[in-house]
Formats: sequence, C-alpha cells, structure tokens
Amino acid sequence: MNKAIQNRTFTGGSKYVLDEELAKIVNISIALEMPLLLKGEPGTGKTMLAHAIAEALQLRLIVLNVKSSMKLIDALYQYDTLTRLNDSRFGDSKRDVSNIEEYIRMGKIGQGFNSEEKVVLLIDEIDKADTDFQDDMLDVLDQMEFDIIEIDKTIRAKNRPVIIITSNAKKDLSDPFLGRCNFHHIAFPEPDMMRRIVAVHFSDIDKELMESAVRTFYRLREIKSIEKKPATRELINWIRALRSDPDFRVKDLVKGEVPYLGILYKKSPDYAVAQNAVGRFRA
Amino acid sequence: MFVDFFYLLKKVGIPVSPTSFLRLQKALNMGLVNSVDDFYTAARSILVKSERYFDLYDQVFAHRFQGVALKESEAVEISEVARALLEEWLKNPRELADLLGIKEEDLSKLTPEELLQYFLDRLKEQTEAHHGGGKWIGTGGTSPVGHSGYHPGGMRVGGISRNKSAVKVAMERRYRDYSQEGPLTESQMGEALKRLRNMVPHGPKDRVNIDETIYETMKNAGEIEIVFDQSLRDRLKVILAIDNGGWSMDPYIGLVQTLFNYARSQFKELKTFFFHNTIYDHLWEDPHRRSKPFPLDELIRLDPETRFIIIGDASMAPYELLSTDGSIYVGERSGKPSYMRLEFIVKTFPHSVWLNPVPPVEWAYTRTILHIQEIFPMFELTLDGLEKAVSHIMRKN
Repeated sequence: MNKAIQNRTFTGGSKYVLDEELAKIVNISIALEMPLLLKGEPGTGKTMLAHAIAEALQLRLIVLNVKSSMKLIDALYQYDTLTRLNDSRFGDSKRDVSNIEEYIRMGKIGQGFNSEEKVVLLIDEIDKADTDFQDDMLDVLDQMEFDIIEIDKTIRAKNRPVIIITSNAKKDLSDPFLGRCNFHHIAFPEPDMMRRIVAVHFSDIDKELMESAVRTFYRLREIKSIEKKPATRELINWIRALRSDPDFRVKDLVKGEVPYLGILYKKSPDYAVAQNAVGRFRA
Repeated sequence: MFVDFFYLLKKVGIPVSPTSFLRLQKALNMGLVNSVDDFYTAARSILVKSERYFDLYDQVFAHRFQGVALKESEAVEISEVARALLEEWLKNPRELADLLGIKEEDLSKLTPEELLQYFLDRLKEQTEAHHGGGKWIGTGGTSPVGHSGYHPGGMRVGGISRNKSAVKVAMERRYRDYSQEGPLTESQMGEALKRLRNMVPHGPKDRVNIDETIYETMKNAGEIEIVFDQSLRDRLKVILAIDNGGWSMDPYIGLVQTLFNYARSQFKELKTFFFHNTIYDHLWEDPHRRSKPFPLDELIRLDPETRFIIIGDASMAPYELLSTDGSIYVGERSGKPSYMRLEFIVKTFPHSVWLNPVPPVEWAYTRTILHIQEIFPMFELTLDGLEKAVSHIMRKN
C-alpha cells in the first residue's frame, strides 16, 4: 500500500494547471519525505497545489490554517480542561474524569500523525504565526512525533504525511526551519500559463473573451501604487461575472472599458486608484 | 559528486548547508534525477531556501554547466550606479547616442544589458584615462527604480520559458527581480511594518483565563471561580512625517505613497505630516502643505511613547538645515535653525527614526545627510533598512 503511493507520481489535478518544474519538485519532496515550503505572492496557487496533490494521489487532505495567535500545541492536541472541570463538578457525563486521555483532542497535525492512511498535510500561511511557532514545529516535523505532556504519551506518525507548507511572507523563515524543508517559489503565472489556467476553469470559454480578459488583466496588474494586486482568483471571478452579464460585449474590453472593477480590487483606495487609471485606458 | 558546484554556491554567498547537500546526494542515489534539467530543479529546491538567491543560483548554474562568466563583486557595484545613470540618460536617447558615439538606430537595437555592457566598457576606458573618475560617478542622485520604459527598444519582458534546457533557463535569470538587490515592493513593506506592533491589555475584562481559573478553583476547594482578563489590543501611536516636496524626492514618491497607504491600514493611531526638505516651525497635515499647518511646538503635548518616523532624502542645501532663517518659505522665521527643530523632535520622542530612500553608499557625499545622521538614527528605505528601523523603534528604552 505504502509502496504503491510512493511509486505514484504527481502529474496535476483536474482544476490545477501544473508547471513542469513544480511537478518535479513535488515528486522529489514526496520521495525524500521532506516538507515542501512554497512561497509566492497571493493567487499563485500555493494552497491549490496541496488540494491538487491530495486529489491526484487520492489521499485525504488535512488543512491547518495557521492564525497569528496560534501556539504549536493547538496544532498538535488540545487538553479540554473546561469540559473536565465541568464533568468533575457536575459528574453527569459518560466520560471518566480520572482518565485525562478522554479529554485530549487531536489538533490538525495530531490527526495527520494518527491517521491510519497516508495523508496530505497542508500547513497554510505559516508566516502568520510568530517565529516561536516555526521553531517549535521543527522537532515535530523532524522526528515525526510529539509528546502529550498531560498523559505522558508519545504520538508517532503512523505514516509520514506529505507535508506542504505555504508562506506569503517576503521575509525569510528561520534558517533551521528552512534547513528541514525543500523550497520553491511560485512566480506569478505568465500570460500563456494564465490562459491555460482560465481554460481549465471555463472549458467552453470564447477565445476572444479569454484573450481580451487576460490582456486587460495583465494591464491592470501594471498599475502602480496598488496595495493588493488582483491575482488569479480575482481573474477567475471576474470572468465569471463578465460571462453572466447579458449586456457585456467583448468589444467593451478592447475599447478599454473595465466593468466590475470591484471584483478585481477589493480595497477602497486601490479601487479608486484603479478606476482613475482605467479612465486613462480609454483616452 | 558536484562538490565543487556546492562550494561555488557557498562562495558566492548562498547559505547552503552540508545537510542539504547530503540530501541532494540522497535524491541522486534514489534515481530521481535523470537529466541536467532535473538536477537544476532538484538542486535548487533542496539547496536554496529563498527566492532571493534564485538569481545567484541561476548564475552559478550557468557558470558551472555552461561556462558563463560570473560577475565579480566590484562589477556589481559599478554597474548599479551606472544603471541608475543610464536610465536617466535613456530619457533622451539622442543625447546618449551622441555621447557614446553611436547612431540612435543602433542604440535601439541593443538590449538594456548590452547597452549597459557597452556603457561599462566606455566607462572603464574613462577611469583608466583620468584618475578620479570615481568622483564623476558620485553625482548621480537618481533613482534606480522605474523609468525603464524610456529605452527606445523597450525593455525585454521575460517570456514563458518552457521546453528549454535548464542552462538556457538559468541564463535567462528569471529571478533577478527577487534577488536581494531588487526594489522594495508594496507587500514587502506591509510585512516589515507588521512588526510595528505593541500589544497591551485594553478594554473590558471579557477573556477567560483558563490557567488562572483552574488554579483559583483548586484553591477554592473545587468551587468554580472563573477569572477574566482584558484582551490584548494594539495601542501603538505612530507619527509619520513625509518629505513630499521638491524634485529631489520625486523618484521616491511612488514608494513613499505606498508606504503611507500601508501604514494607514496598519495602526490604530497614525498621524501623517508632510514637510519639504526639512522641518522648521510647522508640519503640514495636508499634502500640499498649504491649508493645515501644525505647529511643531504642539508636538510636546503628544504621548512621548509615540513612534516618530521621518521619511525623506535629507538632501538639501546646507544652509536650509543650519542657518537661522533657512526655510525657503517666507512665513517661517522663528529664528531657530532646522537642525535644532530636529533635535527637539528626537528629544520629545525618544523612539524616532529617519528612513532615507537614498542608498547608504551615497550618504557620505551629501553633507546634510551626514549632519542629520548625527541627530536621527538613519536607515535605508529598503526591506532590510525598514526591518532594522522597526526593531530600533520597538526597543524597550
């Protein structure tokens, strides 16, 4: 079983256009059993990659969404003290209050380790948490085990999960952390790649619409002083909106009109700047 | 295997660790790498841990497997300055063509890289002929960002690079924009500014402190005693003073604007002021510096814990900083020279910094920068500098 998975290689998902270079990196990381750290600006498909891997290798995907206040222990397990306190006080549950183990709940990493089958573990946006979180996670990922202090028990990974870590940060993670990962930076897709991505999402899309939409999109991305540039996700939603509008004509785009700008720019200062710039497209 | 490649990477300054090299060997032994292309991707993903080094990696790879010359460190320095000068010149191709002694049409056929190389060759001849050529370079105060659209042939935009050999791909240097020399972008700034946070307990006590609750409950012989805490809020006050006047700041205005946009969403309390060149009796709340003056002496009423950040190139005529009536605006004649005003700000707000978009190598050439540096801790307006500045103003004392 295990062997079979190892021999399977990743070639892309149904909604994911895979870059050849990235495919190699993913397969090497799986073979070396190393976590793969992905960086790149938002909308380059870092998170989607994990979904695609899970889909292609037919593995369960466990997603750990890192939050800024998160401690590593939250990702490993939780000792539900309040329930235990409550049970001990009122004693009306079926749980055995003297058995702490009944009050331990596995976090996402814990679930991944405990799973009988190999899983894909996505640790999303690790840069949101502080550096302590990353440093603490090192040993866990290295040894593939952690201790539950309360019951003095070690949880060891039954199957080494395929670990994908994503980070938006432009600043580097700590060196020891990087040392334990393989690394790839996903660049923003080139127009050609983007056309393929759009085609995957809208299989019946009109050539002309795709061409003008993608061209306008890259033109919009050139606008200076924008805090959050529109990314792939915005483009897909935008095209969806254009297609569902019965009054929309492709010629409008060619003329330099950009309807539904609000789908592409979600921050009001950005929207204002973009609107201004689009006004100049027409001139 | 490939030991010299590994040491070459190390030599050019990419932090590669022996462990990762061993891991690469493992990958090689497992039969995962079957071609030079595979090796390029595998080695990069295993050895290089930041996109900032991807460009260097590409260069080393091209050198090792194709014999492309590595650029030397001295050449880097000179080419950065030259590039800045060149971009200024490219606004007027005819003039440049005349200077280099070639026709404008020929000029437009060269790529910017070739052009730069040509220019550098000329420059080398120049330095050999006259000593003191270095002085000539120092005059360029122009920005190395933007303006690339002026080249007659247009800047080459990297095309899609599939189905090519790895060496070709490496030689294209797709990752140059991510290398450490690259300009500061919007999101990078956001990252650096995120560190400017000062969490303090604030507001109603509405968070259950579980550890305390358990402890108190135990002390209470099992009778439940719930302990509440205040939640943590960011209460940091920041004043941003931006030099938005004069042509000398022009190249940086885009950069500063983004910084300002970011700052606005980042802090609870942010005041932004504007000034031109340096600060006298007033700061201005409106960017045009006309309608809303803010008397400098009023600053003393504000919380001294406020972080005061000045962004400016600190480049001006020395008298503007030192003379008692240095202000180029007639209205400001309090008789206090600007440097005393700056000293006043530092005294009022112990946590203050000056961010300068001018690269530090040029600081020594401008007298006023040297002088202001004595008053304010000065940092470069780059990712690195911003991070240093942030950690400087977040220090406890």
